[in-house]
Amino acid sequence: MKKNMKKIMALLLTVTLSLGLYGCGSKNDKTESGTSTAAESDTSAAATDGSEKKTLVIGDTTFNPSNEELDVNPHNSYSGWACIRYGIGETLVKYSDDMELEPWLAKEWENTDPLTWKITLQDHVTFSSGRAMDAEAVKQCLEHLLANHDRAAADTKIDSMEADGQVLTIHTSEPKPALLNYLGDPYGCIIDVDAGFDDGIVAGTGPYIATDCQSGDHLTLVKNENYWNGTPHIDELTIKTITDGNTLANALLSGEIQAAYGMAYESYPMFENDNFTFSQISTSRCFFLKMNFNEGSVCTDPAVRKAIAMGIDKEGFVENLLEGNGYPANGTFPAGSAFGGDKVTTETYDAEGAKKVLEEAGWTDTDGDGIREKDGQKLQIKWLTYPSRQELPLLAESAQATLKDIGIDVDINCTADNNSVVQDPAAWDVYAMANVQAPTGDPEYWFTVFATSNATKNQGAYKNEKLDQLEEQLSQEFDTDKRAKLAVEMQQTVLDDNAFVYCSFLKMSQISRANVTGYMAHACDYYQVTADLDIN
Amino acid sequence: MDKSARRKPKKQKNYLKKRFFIFATLALILVVGSYFSERLCPYDPYEQNLSIAKASPSLAHPFGTDRYGRDMLSRVIVGSKTSIYSTLLLVVGITVIGTIVGIICGWNGKKLDTILMRISDIFLAFPGLVFALAVAAVMGGGVQNAVIALGAISWPKYARIARSQTLAQKESLYMRAAILSGCSTGKLILKHILPNITGPILVTAMLDIGTMMMELAGLSFLGLGAKPPVAEWGSMMSDTRNLLTTHPWVTFAPGIAIFLSVMVFNLLGDTVRDLLDPRNER
Repeated sequence: MKKNMKKIMALLLTVTLSLGLYGCGSKNDKTESGTSTAAESDTSAAATDGSEKKTLVIGDTTFNPSNEELDVNPHNSYSGWACIRYGIGETLVKYSDDMELEPWLAKEWENTDPLTWKITLQDHVTFSSGRAMDAEAVKQCLEHLLANHDRAAADTKIDSMEADGQVLTIHTSEPKPALLNYLGDPYGCIIDVDAGFDDGIVAGTGPYIATDCQSGDHLTLVKNENYWNGTPHIDELTIKTITDGNTLANALLSGEIQAAYGMAYESYPMFENDNFTFSQISTSRCFFLKMNFNEGSVCTDPAVRKAIAMGIDKEGFVENLLEGNGYPANGTFPAGSAFGGDKVTTETYDAEGAKKVLEEAGWTDTDGDGIREKDGQKLQIKWLTYPSRQELPLLAESAQATLKDIGIDVDINCTADNNSVVQDPAAWDVYAMANVQAPTGDPEYWFTVFATSNATKNQGAYKNEKLDQLEEQLSQEFDTDKRAKLAVEMQQTVLDDNAFVYCSFLKMSQISRANVTGYMAHACDYYQVTADLDIN
Repeated sequence: MDKSARRKPKKQKNYLKKRFFIFATLALILVVGSYFSERLCPYDPYEQNLSIAKASPSLAHPFGTDRYGRDMLSRVIVGSKTSIYSTLLLVVGITVIGTIVGIICGWNGKKLDTILMRISDIFLAFPGLVFALAVAAVMGGGVQNAVIALGAISWPKYARIARSQTLAQKESLYMRAAILSGCSTGKLILKHILPNITGPILVTAMLDIGTMMMELAGLSFLGLGAKPPVAEWGSMMSDTRNLLTTHPWVTFAPGIAIFLSVMVFNLLGDTVRDLLDPRNER
């Protein structure tokens, strides 16, 4: 009996195990076949999804708090970049490929006197909330912008506004020649303030409507059926934040995403074939160094700043580490504009010259370890940078080697928490960052954001009275040629102080699978998703 | 029959000794070689030469060059010092600390035992690498901090072994005899307990070298170990991940170095364990 019982138990166990294994096996088979189907026809699966719903996933390295894109509310820090880049919001004016102003939500504009602007809006534009876009709605939006945004009020100097049907009249407190340029900045996205800001989501006039927003993770959008300027094609668009360049490349290769922004230049060879499309354009995006002038920083010594400027091999960096996708920078702005390129002069790579500069300033290597000292202090600089712009860590390591040759020790801190660290003046000496220098097509923006003594992002406490006076003049100058001349003089002032070291301007690329159309890079670097975007 | 049965363990023992000799020699070559690594490098491992960046393997550069034009062979050689010595330091550190704590607990018992063992339980309750990540993140990057982070989670294992062995030895007859003959506590621990518990601790430590090497490389790979431009195998693999598809040799070189070193230390650990196994004595 006992023996039989054992046999029955063994039989039952065998049957149970077999069933379990069969169950696992068939489950795995299903998963595998699902995966392989997805891998084989990734794009068509993404495009049709069974119910003929067109979906598209774009991988992006920059939609995260590290780039101050906390949500898609344009009135919040740099979130306007996400708002405009992903087709949620639109501005009154837009930029051509040559960065010239063109009508967008504004049909036309007129400068009736130095302090008054009359802007006529497009007819028949509605917000995604359903509200009609009229002068009253735009006035309400701009008032909210001025009250909440950290740069807008100082940039635009708007004093008061009057709304009359589709005509908006803006009065500024002082002459503001670049007002329209500033209103074309991503923070100038026109949104329906009454629709609210729940979870950082806003109602704009763009081809897509945000439904779910998690900065640093993803943004989900659906098409705006009532879009005024064309017919969006994608039913559901997802922006996936992928900060790691390698993961981004693999995601695009595997078909997990169908388009990518911010791909590392090193990964380009993987996509240079018929399966992918490149859209590349020269932009004013620049890799540059910001020096710390706060007390205690070694960069308060002009000789150290000059040696750093002379100790960076820009040519080598561009040619080898940017793989030729850019060119060495001379000044603040790229060549081609009336105020950029070779109109200014700066230090060039000269290791021997840099050694001499340091030697004369009293920095010598007394203990023979290759690093210079002065009054018992080692010549060490804390180099702060961040990883979401893939080549910034490469610039840091390249500079670390060339600066070591001249006797400067570089301690690199590459962190996604860069925005908090930069607020602590003791935590950095040099902050290497990437920035679009003239997103409004006008030079004034850069100086008021980074360089003047009351600039919003002047964490290094740089102050030059001459620069402040020139900015005062620039802010009131209507004549374009005179503005360009002033911008050149201001750049030269900054360069003479070696307060900023400009390393390179970049070509920006957007890469998509071959069946994606309308995914085009723009010179301003923030028009990305438009109504033309489609997947076949 | 009896004769062959007697010869078999002897043969086995000889085989183990031979195996031990081979792996100990290989491990010694690694340890001594890494000590003199700077002299063995054909090029300066930190010198950048962008004009030969990402060069494929050749006679001049057998492992190719990385994106900064640094010779990969030189970097792998010099990286051995950071990787191997940090691992050895870590393993020695946790073995010594763990053993001391274990002996104190086992010998003293009572409240001190309870307190120290509960502390070790707390450390054991954390998932290893996650805890090391948190420690390294709080204290900042760098090989030194990565070693401290891994040390913090790895010592309890040794404390547990030392404690249980001490408890067993404490109750043995020869210990009672030693106590009765008036031996001091220090002499009892150093002369009688320590030599008798060394075997299992040594085996555990030998087997841990490979694991610790992998974990240190893992932390460095995640950016919490060596900082640039320090050559360390894990961080070298991480730095060159983007080039895996287009220039695979830059990732392959440090990868193969980790693989070979871990294998040598693991096999040496296995051999030591087999050698010290009492079953092989019979």
